[in-house]
Amino acid sequence: MGNRARADADFDAIVIGGGHAGIEASLAIARLGFSTILVTQSLDVIGRMSCNPAIGGIAKGNLVREVDALGGQMAKLIDATMIQFRMLNESHGPAVQAPRAQADKHAYAALAKLTLEQEKNLTLFQDTVVDFVLDSSGTSVRGVVTERGRKITAPVVVLTTGTFMEGRLFIGEWSAPGGRLGEPAAIGLGTSLRRLGFSVGRLKTGTPARALRGSLIPERMEVQQPDPEARAFSFETHRVERPSVPCFVTYTTGETHRIIRENIHRSPLYGGKIVGRGPRYCPSIEDKVMRFPTRERHQVFVEPEGLATEEVYLNGVSSSLPEDVQEQFLHSVPGLEKLVITRPGYAVEYDFLFPTQLFPSLMTKRIQGLFVAGQTNGTSGYEEAAAQGLVAGINAALHLQGREPLVLSRADAYIGVLVDDLVTLGTEEPYRLFTSRAEHRLSLMHDTADIRLLPKGHALGLQGDAALDRLTRKVRGIEETRELLRRRKVTAFDVARISILESHRGRSFEQALRDPLVSISRLASLDSLLASADGSWLALAEAGVKYEGYIARQEEQVGRFRRMEEKRIPGDFDWDGLTGVSAEAKEKLKMIRPISVGQASRISGVRPPDIAVLLVSLTRDGGQARR
Amino acid sequence: MIHSPDDPIAALATPLVSSALAVIRVSGKGSLQLLAPLVKGGAPAAGRRGNTINRCIIRDGDDDVDEVMLAVYRAPRSYTGEDSAEIISHGSIPVIQRLLSLLTRSGFRPAGPGEFTQRAFLNGRMDLTRAEAVNEIVRARTDRARALALQRLSGAIESRIKAARESLVELRAGLEVSIDYPDDERDGEVLDDGALDRTISLLQGLTRTYRQGRIYQEGVTAAIAGATNSGKSSLFNAMLRQERAIVSEVHGTTRDWLEGSVSLEGIPFRLFDTAGLRDTRDPLEVEGIRRTEQVLAGADLVIYLVDSTAGIRAADVSFMARWAGVPMIRVWNKVDLPGLPVPEGFVPLSATTGEGLGPLEEAAAGLALGGSPADTGEPLIDSVRQRDLISRALAALGRLRVARAGGVTADLLAVDLADALDALGEITGEVTTAEILERMFASFCVGK
Repeated sequence: MGNRARADADFDAIVIGGGHAGIEASLAIARLGFSTILVTQSLDVIGRMSCNPAIGGIAKGNLVREVDALGGQMAKLIDATMIQFRMLNESHGPAVQAPRAQADKHAYAALAKLTLEQEKNLTLFQDTVVDFVLDSSGTSVRGVVTERGRKITAPVVVLTTGTFMEGRLFIGEWSAPGGRLGEPAAIGLGTSLRRLGFSVGRLKTGTPARALRGSLIPERMEVQQPDPEARAFSFETHRVERPSVPCFVTYTTGETHRIIRENIHRSPLYGGKIVGRGPRYCPSIEDKVMRFPTRERHQVFVEPEGLATEEVYLNGVSSSLPEDVQEQFLHSVPGLEKLVITRPGYAVEYDFLFPTQLFPSLMTKRIQGLFVAGQTNGTSGYEEAAAQGLVAGINAALHLQGREPLVLSRADAYIGVLVDDLVTLGTEEPYRLFTSRAEHRLSLMHDTADIRLLPKGHALGLQGDAALDRLTRKVRGIEETRELLRRRKVTAFDVARISILESHRGRSFEQALRDPLVSISRLASLDSLLASADGSWLALAEAGVKYEGYIARQEEQVGRFRRMEEKRIPGDFDWDGLTGVSAEAKEKLKMIRPISVGQASRISGVRPPDIAVLLVSLTRDGGQARR
Repeated sequence: MIHSPDDPIAALATPLVSSALAVIRVSGKGSLQLLAPLVKGGAPAAGRRGNTINRCIIRDGDDDVDEVMLAVYRAPRSYTGEDSAEIISHGSIPVIQRLLSLLTRSGFRPAGPGEFTQRAFLNGRMDLTRAEAVNEIVRARTDRARALALQRLSGAIESRIKAARESLVELRAGLEVSIDYPDDERDGEVLDDGALDRTISLLQGLTRTYRQGRIYQEGVTAAIAGATNSGKSSLFNAMLRQERAIVSEVHGTTRDWLEGSVSLEGIPFRLFDTAGLRDTRDPLEVEGIRRTEQVLAGADLVIYLVDSTAGIRAADVSFMARWAGVPMIRVWNKVDLPGLPVPEGFVPLSATTGEGLGPLEEAAAGLALGGSPADTGEPLIDSVRQRDLISRALAALGRLRVARAGGVTADLLAVDLADALDALGEITGEVTTAEILERMFASFCVGK
C-alpha cells in the first residue's frame, strides 16, 4: 500500500512500465522514502521475460551483481527462482567470468510482483500512460495522463516502457500493433515524446518460437549440464538451494538453411517491411544464414522456461519468417523433427529515445524531472534495463532531495560503461553490454562489485549496516588470505602431492600462484587453513596475485582517466562561445553537453586539440589562469 | 588515446643536423626528477632553482654521453608553465641521438608535433586570443609532419603499419569473441598464432629500416681522395655539376679541401674534395694533407681515385690499407685516355667525359645505405616517434607471445593486444572499441 505524502501532488514519483527497469526504479525510489506509483499496462506481466528465460551472462552477470551491491533487487529474484546455473568463462580468467542462470520465468515474475506489492511507499496501478503533464514553462514534468483519462501528478516521472512504445509485431506476412505477442502496444507515448521535441527512432528485436518439451527427441541432441553447484548472484544470499535442470544443444542442417533461403522473400525484414535496425549480436536465424552462407550449421540451445510449465525456449533460432516456414525449418533440426510449437517466433519494431538526449543521471536534458531507463533508451537485455532502472530511480530520489546525482564512471562499474556509452556515444542498434566495451575490465570483476559499490549503496540508504559489516569482513578475509599465501611455503610434501609445484619448491604459495598453471583451488587442497577460507576470498586473492602486473598497469590508466573525469564542466557552460574548436566538435559538444572533460573526450568527432581548447577555456572561466 | 596532459615529454628543439650546439627540451610533471639520475653528481639537477644554468655531464649508466649546459626551469615560470629543462649539448648527430634515446629509456615520451607549445597554451602561458592560430598550427603541423614523414615513400610505410594494425584488430576481435561468446562454436583457436607471428615480423622489419631511414634525413659525408692529380677535383666538379674546384695540371693545386652538397638517389651527400696525398715539404701542402686526414677520419665513405694512366702506386696501396675500415669505392679514373686495364674491384670512370659517372653515384648511394634497400623494396621509417611507437607495439606483442606460451588466460592476453593496438593507433589514428565490435560481428557469426 502506498502513502500519499505530498500536499501539492498525488505522489512523489511516477514510474511508467513494470518491466525490469521499472521494477528497480520503483523499488529504489520507494525504499528511499518517497511515495511512488507504478503505472503499468497489465499487472499480470510484471517482470516478464520477453525473450531468453535467463539472467546473467558475460558482462550481464556483472551488471546483476552491481545492481545488487547498490541495493537493487534483480539478484535476489534470480537467486530464488533459478533452475540452472553456470559460471561462464571459467577458462578465460576471472576478469571476464560471469554467472548465468536459467530462470523459472513464471516464478520470477510472480516474485517480482509480490516484492513490489509488499513494498511500503509503493502503489501499483493498472492503466496505460499516453501523455505527460508539464508545468507552465514546459520545461518540467508535473505528471502523466492515462488512456482512461486519469491524470496523476508528481514532480518526478521515470519512463521505462521497454519495447511497447508504438510497438508493431511481424510474423512473415502478418503484422499487427503489439508490444509482445498477446500484449497491446502503448500507443500515444511515442507521439507525445515527439511532440515534446524528443528525437525518437525505431528499433527491432526478435524472439524465437516456444515449443512443448514433450515433443522433443532428446536422444538426438547433446545435453548441456549445469554447474554442479549453483552460486548466488546476490552478495546477501549465502547458499542457493534450487533444482537444476539441463538444457539441450542441437544444430541446424543444410536442409534448414535451404528452407530459410527459399523463403527469405517472405521475411518482413528482407522483404522490406521492417525499417528498424536489429541487433547484430543477436541475429535471427535468417540473418545468420544470409550473412554467413558458408557456415554448415548453427547452434540451437533448447532451454526450459520453468519448473511448472512444459514450454521450452529455442535459443538461436529467433525468426520472423511466416509460421509455416518456421515449422518447416524447425522440423529439419535433429531432435526437433516432431516439435509442437506453442508460440511462433516473431519480430517487434518499436520506438526508442536516442539516449544522447539524457544526462549521465538518465534525466532528460529537455524536461526536468523526467527520467528514462531501459529498452526505451535503445538497450536490449533485462540486466541492462535493471541497471538503468536502478540508476534512474536513485537519481530521481536524489533529484527530489535536491542533491547531486549518482554517476558511476567507466572505471567504477559496468553500469558506468553502459550509461556513459548511451549518453555520450548514443546507439543506432539495440545496445548490449560486452566486456570488450570496458577499458578497465580487469578492475570490474563480478566478485568485486560489493567492494566497489556497496559503500555507495550504503551512503545512499539502500544498503543497511549489516551489509556493510559483511563487506568489511570480506575485505579483511581477502587480506588474511593473501597474508597466508605469502607465509606458506611450498614443501617437498606439497610437491609430492601436486607435481607441477616442483619448480616452485621453497617459494611461497603466492609466488607459485603467479604461474598460470597453478590454481588456488589446488593449493587449497594442501592447506586446511586455506581450504577453510570463503570461496570469494580465495578467488579474489588469486586474481590479485595473478593479475598484479596487469592491474598495476591498468591502475595507471585508471588514474589518468579519473583525472579527466574529475575536470567538471558547469551545467551552464557557454558552448556557443567556445572558439577554436572544429565545427563538428562544437556541434556535438552543444548537443551532448558533457559534464566532464573526460566525457567530452569520448564524443565522436571531438579530437585532442579541441580538448586542449576546452581545458584552457575552463581554466580561464575559473579565473585561475597561471601567469 | 589522450595522454595525461602533463606527463614528461622530450624532444629536440633544434634541427637534426650536425652543428656546434643542439638543444633538447624536456617538460612535464616529474620531469626534473626523471632527469636527476642521468646527471653525473645526481640530485642537484632536480634540486636546482629555476632559471639556473649549470655545466654538467649526462651519463648513461657508467658511460658519459656528453658534457652539456643544463638550464632548469620551475613551474610556473617556464615556457610550458611546467617543470622543464633545456639540455644544450654538442651538436653532433650521434650525441643527439644518444641523448634522445637515453631520455626515452628513462621515462620521457617523445613529444608530438607542437606539444610543447600546446602545453604553454594549456597552462595559460599564451594569450587566449591566439587560440585559433595555435590550434591551426598544431593541426597543420601534425598533418604536415605526417605528410612529410610519409610522402617520401608514397604511402608505403603507412600501408605497412595499417596492415599490421588490421591484423591486430582481427586478432583482438577473435579474442573478444571467444570471451564474450564462450558458448558459441568457433572454428580454430582463440588466437591465431600464425597471424601474430607474421605481424611481429612485419613490425620488426620496419624498425630495422629506421637506421637506414635516418640516412635520408641526415645524409652522409663522402671524401674524394687519391694521389695528387688523380682527378679528384674533376670528379668533384662533375658530381656537383659545377666548376667549383680549380682544376689544373699542376700537382698540388688543391691545398685545402672543398666541400659541396649533392643529392644522390635521394640521399644528401656532403662531398669533400681533398688535397692530394704525397710526400711534400711545401708547408702549405703539408697543412692541406693534415686537414685531408681529418676529413677522412670523419667520413662515412671514401671515393678513392687512381689515375689509370699511372697505375696503382705504393702510396695508393698504403692508403687503401690504412683506411680499410671505412667503406670505400675504388675508382679507375681517366679511362678516356689510353691506360692500363681496369683491375678487379675498381670502378671505371672518366671524370672529364662523364663515362661511368652514373654507376659510380649509384654505388656511392648503395654503400651509404650499407646494403641496398632499393633491391628489397622495403620502405623505411624515419622519425623517432614512429620508431618509438612501433617499438612499444612490439614490446607489447612480445609480452603477448610469452604470456600465450605460458598459458595466460584470454582476458590478460587482451590487455597486451590492446596496448599494441594503442601504440599503432597513435601513428595512424585512433582505434575505438566500436571498430573492434564491428569486426567481431562482421567476421564471426555469433549470438543467439
